[in-house]
Amino acid sequence: MYRTEKYYIKAEMKISDLIFDNPSLLLLLENLELDLISGERTIEQVCLEKNISTSVFISIANLFNGFYPTGEEEFSSADIPTIIKYLKNAHNYYENEKYPEIRNCIEELYKRNSSPEIQLVGKFFDEYFNEVKEHLAYEDKVAFPYFYKLYDPSASQGQEKENEKYSSNEYHDHHSDIESKLTDLKELLLKHIPVKNDRIIRRKIFINLSDLEHDLNIHSTIEETILIPIVSQLEKKID
Amino acid sequence: MTKSLINIAILEPSQIITEGLSNILLKTGTYSKIFKIDSLNEFNTKLFGSQIDIAIINPNQIQNKLKEFSLLKKSLSDTLWAGLVYTFFDQHLLSQFDRIINITDSPESIGELIHKIKNSDYHSSNGSEIEQLSEREIEVLKLLIKGLPNKEIGDKLNISIHTVISHRKNISQKTGIKSQAGLTIYAISNKIVQIEDYLN
Repeated sequence: MYRTEKYYIKAEMKISDLIFDNPSLLLLLENLELDLISGERTIEQVCLEKNISTSVFISIANLFNGFYPTGEEEFSSADIPTIIKYLKNAHNYYENEKYPEIRNCIEELYKRNSSPEIQLVGKFFDEYFNEVKEHLAYEDKVAFPYFYKLYDPSASQGQEKENEKYSSNEYHDHHSDIESKLTDLKELLLKHIPVKNDRIIRRKIFINLSDLEHDLNIHSTIEETILIPIVSQLEKKID
Repeated sequence: MTKSLINIAILEPSQIITEGLSNILLKTGTYSKIFKIDSLNEFNTKLFGSQIDIAIINPNQIQNKLKEFSLLKKSLSDTLWAGLVYTFFDQHLLSQFDRIINITDSPESIGELIHKIKNSDYHSSNGSEIEQLSEREIEVLKLLIKGLPNKEIGDKLNISIHTVISHRKNISQKTGIKSQAGLTIYAISNKIVQIEDYLN
């Protein structure tokens, strides 16, 4: 969501101040493998120390605060490792934390409201989660090694299989699919499935789904507006 | 489906006024995205990537560009053009706008402007306030959730594949749900089909 009350983040700001302003940024620190406690240090200092691209940090942090990239930022191939680090760790967060958390809530929901619809919601979610896992695996095993190799040609290509070649179209289709099923779930929970003793747990699920949606939106914005443009420039150079 | 996001562009040289206006707009509680722009030309660029619903412009910015402005209005016919007035302007100049916002207007009246936009969109895209499926759409939905492809649905109902696709589009728009699995749950919740057919 667009929030003007949040800061527009700049390199000379203290990391702890950013977190006080918007605690969701703790996830950004986690994904970039930065320490939780940074004392009085600024973004610039911490990034330099940990070999993290400051411009990538700032762009992602601003996305968390609701500011989309203007297109004027300048990124280079040197930013690729930071971006991939962020995205890979975010995958881990989805797969091992966020999705299981929502899954547990849906089980809780079924305990309170054992209707056939909720049973089907569980099934819907499992199938959806499997699709998401497939996409994440595709990125981890095919797309990211491919991007990394563009940055550092001496890097090994990973376990690339013959029939799994990276394609930017496929990449985009996956994203819109993942987001649209999440919308389906929210629509069903808020407009269609009757409430039966499940108001509190339904609130938790709904907020979890919205958080996840917001985070996935940041995730695909990073890929599509920061990472892909760098990659296509590198591809042009090679051709 | 209601259109929830409103895109607003502000063309106003004073940063203080732009920021103040943005704040008021964001506080109306509508999910809006605000673009700050520096010249009329920017409306023509693909910069926004999406349609601008409301353009708020300082009339000074169109003073010597009336022709350009009227062309712009023609090419972006769905946009509402509002003049932001805090000094004296010629009546003719102000008549170019669909609506005038005065600097002394209350935040509430600006909020009303946004809500009006939102509702007019809502009505034009749906025709009615109640998002009920038509009988035909319900027939299509029943076959759809059985997993039949468009062609077979068309054959069963004696309609063309294009009609099937257009019904499907309307179903998703009215329910807000796109996937087949999601529509199945919708149909059960709304007692359009029996649950027994779909479990296990």
